[in-house]
Amino acid sequence: MVSAQQIAKELSEMPPSSAVSLQMSVDNYLDVIRGVVDLFANKKEMDTIYVTATISSDAIRRVLEALDIDASRVYFVDCISHIMMGASSAQQDEHTTLVESPTMLENLMLKVEYLIRRSESKDKLVVIDSINSLAIHNNNWILSEFLHILVSGLRSRDAYTVIFTVEEHSTPEINNMVSLVCDHGILAGKKEG
Amino acid sequence: MAQKTGDRDRCATGLEGLDTILYGGIPRSNTVLLTGSCGTGKTSLALEFLIHGAIKGENSLFVSVTENSDKLLQNLIPYDFFDRSLIKSGKLVFVDLPIMYERLGMTKPELSMEEIDLLVAAISGLAKELGTKRLVVDSITSVCYKLKTSEKIRDFILRLSKALSDLNCTSILVGEVAADSTSYSSFGVEEAIADGIILMANMERRGDLLRTLQVIKMRGTMHSRAKYVLDLTPVGVLLVPLLKGGSTG
Repeated sequence: MVSAQQIAKELSEMPPSSAVSLQMSVDNYLDVIRGVVDLFANKKEMDTIYVTATISSDAIRRVLEALDIDASRVYFVDCISHIMMGASSAQQDEHTTLVESPTMLENLMLKVEYLIRRSESKDKLVVIDSINSLAIHNNNWILSEFLHILVSGLRSRDAYTVIFTVEEHSTPEINNMVSLVCDHGILAGKKEG
Repeated sequence: MAQKTGDRDRCATGLEGLDTILYGGIPRSNTVLLTGSCGTGKTSLALEFLIHGAIKGENSLFVSVTENSDKLLQNLIPYDFFDRSLIKSGKLVFVDLPIMYERLGMTKPELSMEEIDLLVAAISGLAKELGTKRLVVDSITSVCYKLKTSEKIRDFILRLSKALSDLNCTSILVGEVAADSTSYSSFGVEEAIADGIILMANMERRGDLLRTLQVIKMRGTMHSRAKYVLDLTPVGVLLVPLLKGGSTG
């Protein structure tokens, strides 16, 4: 299993405009968050645009708070709260942009683009959490097209892209789709033993 | 090898995505029909075109037909780049056409041929006086309702386009169509006369409503004919390609 420090180290070795797939286990989520958001992005003083399709942005915010991670540079594109119909307390604000549905992939790209333009940090990180959750709502054809356009656009803007895949929920098709657009893969799988 | 941009001077709209679609912008002095059903973002896009022009130092004129310009400004998206000093300095001018009708004594529901002459002269005269390089009429459809016949509409648009083109002014005529319309204009005349057509629409896909933009024609330049999804944001209109998802339809 890869530690938070190792994840941050591997990401730090990549140049801006890199796309990285980060395959994790559900058990390893907290280490991944710490490695990516805190030890990598915050340490480098870069803004993180966090696309969440798995759990609501307010839940992730609580996770960051519990881990004592500074969230002032984290901007959420929340694709899930709106369809939860009030079950999430996430509100549209400077740090949270709601997308009506995870099926509105173009709108998701537009919100990321908007936040990239708004960001004043030199380097930027875009996290997709996770491709498996997006795959619940979208077919592989459209998801593959989405990833290709999104990652190409982010590369041209010198932004880092990190795509989360959840080991337990992934399929060979999804893994292939992600590896096609990524330069590097980090395996942060299940704990041994 | 054919030049992508042709030889014509461009009026860069300032909307990054649209300028990319048009390989640099609208050919200068073209008259473009910006058409679509309600709520598709036509007025916002047209206003942004003028604001970018005014920022670049090109005098810009908004001729409002359907909505009082004060109200229009109240509802304006809070653009990061918009500064009200553009209005104070006269770089960006708003004129309400109903007031112009009143001043010209055009009180009848239908305009005569003489009144059409007068209206074209009044708009183009104002554009000339102000040194206008970008003009928007929002909406041309509302003007057409006072013209009634296809002949009069054709005559009005042709003459207005010619007069504005002679001033080297790039114009956008905002058109309104019904949501289920298969035509690009309400009267079927506007689309044939305009040098360009930009179609904005609400597209439903699996229950989601997406705002789309497509350049149907643009004389004097090559352009993309693909459909794009747009968002109206404080940094301006943003565009991304519509995802096809392997669909054949």
